[in-house]
Amino acid sequence: MSTALIIDDETQMRRLLRMVLESHDYKVCEAADGPLGLNEAALQRPDVVLLDLGLPGMAGTEVLKRLREWSDVPVLILSVRDQEAVKVEALEAGADDYVTKPFGTGELLARLKVIQRRRFTRQSPQIIAGPLTLDLLHHEVTLNDVPLKLTPTEFTLLKVLAEHAGRILTQGQITRQVWAGQFTDSSEGLRVHINHLRKKLGEAGPRIVNEPGIGYRLEAE
Amino acid sequence: MPEPAERRPVPAAVIGQYSWGVMLIFLLASACWLLLPYTGYLFSALVFLTAIVLMGVRWRRGPVLMMTLLSAAVWNFIFIPPIFTLHIDEPQDVAMFILFFAAALSMGHLTTRLHEREEALEMHHREKEQLLAEKHHAELMAESERLHRILLDSVSHELKTPIAIIRAAVDGLGPGNPFAEEIDTASRRLQRIIENFLEMSRIESEALRPQPDWCEADDVIHAATAPLQRELAGHVLKVTVPADLPLLKLDSRLLALALGNVLHNATLYAPTGTEIELRAMVENDVLQLSVRDHGPGLPAGGEAQVFEKFYRAPQSPAGGTGLGLTISRGLMQAMKGGIEAMNPSEGGAEFTLWLPVQSRPTLSLP
Repeated sequence: MSTALIIDDETQMRRLLRMVLESHDYKVCEAADGPLGLNEAALQRPDVVLLDLGLPGMAGTEVLKRLREWSDVPVLILSVRDQEAVKVEALEAGADDYVTKPFGTGELLARLKVIQRRRFTRQSPQIIAGPLTLDLLHHEVTLNDVPLKLTPTEFTLLKVLAEHAGRILTQGQITRQVWAGQFTDSSEGLRVHINHLRKKLGEAGPRIVNEPGIGYRLEAE
Repeated sequence: MPEPAERRPVPAAVIGQYSWGVMLIFLLASACWLLLPYTGYLFSALVFLTAIVLMGVRWRRGPVLMMTLLSAAVWNFIFIPPIFTLHIDEPQDVAMFILFFAAALSMGHLTTRLHEREEALEMHHREKEQLLAEKHHAELMAESERLHRILLDSVSHELKTPIAIIRAAVDGLGPGNPFAEEIDTASRRLQRIIENFLEMSRIESEALRPQPDWCEADDVIHAATAPLQRELAGHVLKVTVPADLPLLKLDSRLLALALGNVLHNATLYAPTGTEIELRAMVENDVLQLSVRDHGPGLPAGGEAQVFEKFYRAPQSPAGGTGLGLTISRGLMQAMKGGIEAMNPSEGGAEFTLWLPVQSRPTLSLP
């Protein structure tokens, strides 16, 4: 059983999230604002945090930055639409994913499951994401056991996406990992390589979904 | 220091100064002529010089220079003996004439330059004040925009939170409960209405700032259709995107919203089970997205009216706000594009969203 911490100023929203989470075997603790949330996070050591971006007083992104100073607990952002810039800021500050209010409970639970899955640890030279297998030792990719021919950049790009399969990655996070600072016109270059990669993965491959204004998500489930 | 005075065309006031200059020299020369028996001919030179200095303070360089030349000629012709000739007898008179001319020229030059500097300084000052006023205005506008955005954000938060709670609570009731499904449908409808009103308010307050970035047309189409899964379920959506469509630089979020409203509109009017065709093409750096349905088509003559705020076609199904297409038009206009509606001859209705875009060809792979 894992513990979830809900940081949201809306009482009814907290109560409802508690009911949803408890019915799915979570132990739940709550906080109504940022400072209380940080205290709870330190005391309860939750396995996952649900953080509302629109908190009064200390803003959600600020709470996240403080939390990330000492904890790498998975964090799911709860936001409303039209906050793309804030969402990107939160993701770059270390949030793991977001859901947009109003959200379905199915979507919420699926996101929680993905971000709670332990983050990628380098213990195996293989990454498996749905029908896709990446062999990091030999730099080979197979899709449904059929080898794919990728350029070195496409391979790295696919590796970054597959390591975080099911999770959103911002444009900045992807370019920093793939090009490590040696690339300047990141946006256009990234699109070109995503375009090529999509064509090579074809219909049988996992979808690389774009979320406008935010980034990409590899849907491997 | 800028001297814009010299670059402007000759204004009427300067022409006036020339004529006043001629008149002044004539008057002074007449007065000095009358006084000549009492004062001697040197006196008139000093009178001319004084007039040049005084006028130089107020007049332009041209008229003052003209006065200098004219007074030198008049002094020589009328006052320096032998009079009524330009000839000068005495060497000291020649020296006097040269000195007069040099003094008049330099005094005229100095005083007009002083005058010009003053004018330029004043102009500079005025420009600075105007700039400050403009800056102040811009700051006020930015502040009002910021307040508007905060207000919209907070209204948006207040309206969406209860809906989020209703939706989550209905989800919690589990599937299969017909009452829960009704609540769910109604809350989705309410959500759409609220989002339409917020979007309309954003468009009208011009708080909408397109942020173009590179993207693929497929991404826009996916972002537009994904939230409409339930609405589109009753129709067959046929998407045609050329494989060699270039990368496009546009605000994919806003374009997806505009396209989503047009698609939703088509699902409302076209009978269940019919095809909705969505086509993308790029020609001469203009992206065109057309949505064609096989419904009753637009009311005759109402092709432009459908974009009017709160316009609802006769026999419209219940549940619309009459804002969807208005929002699409507002979004397209905010991106410097547009939207058009027509009835194709084969029936149904066709909407075309167009947008000038920067494009970049993608490589075709074997």
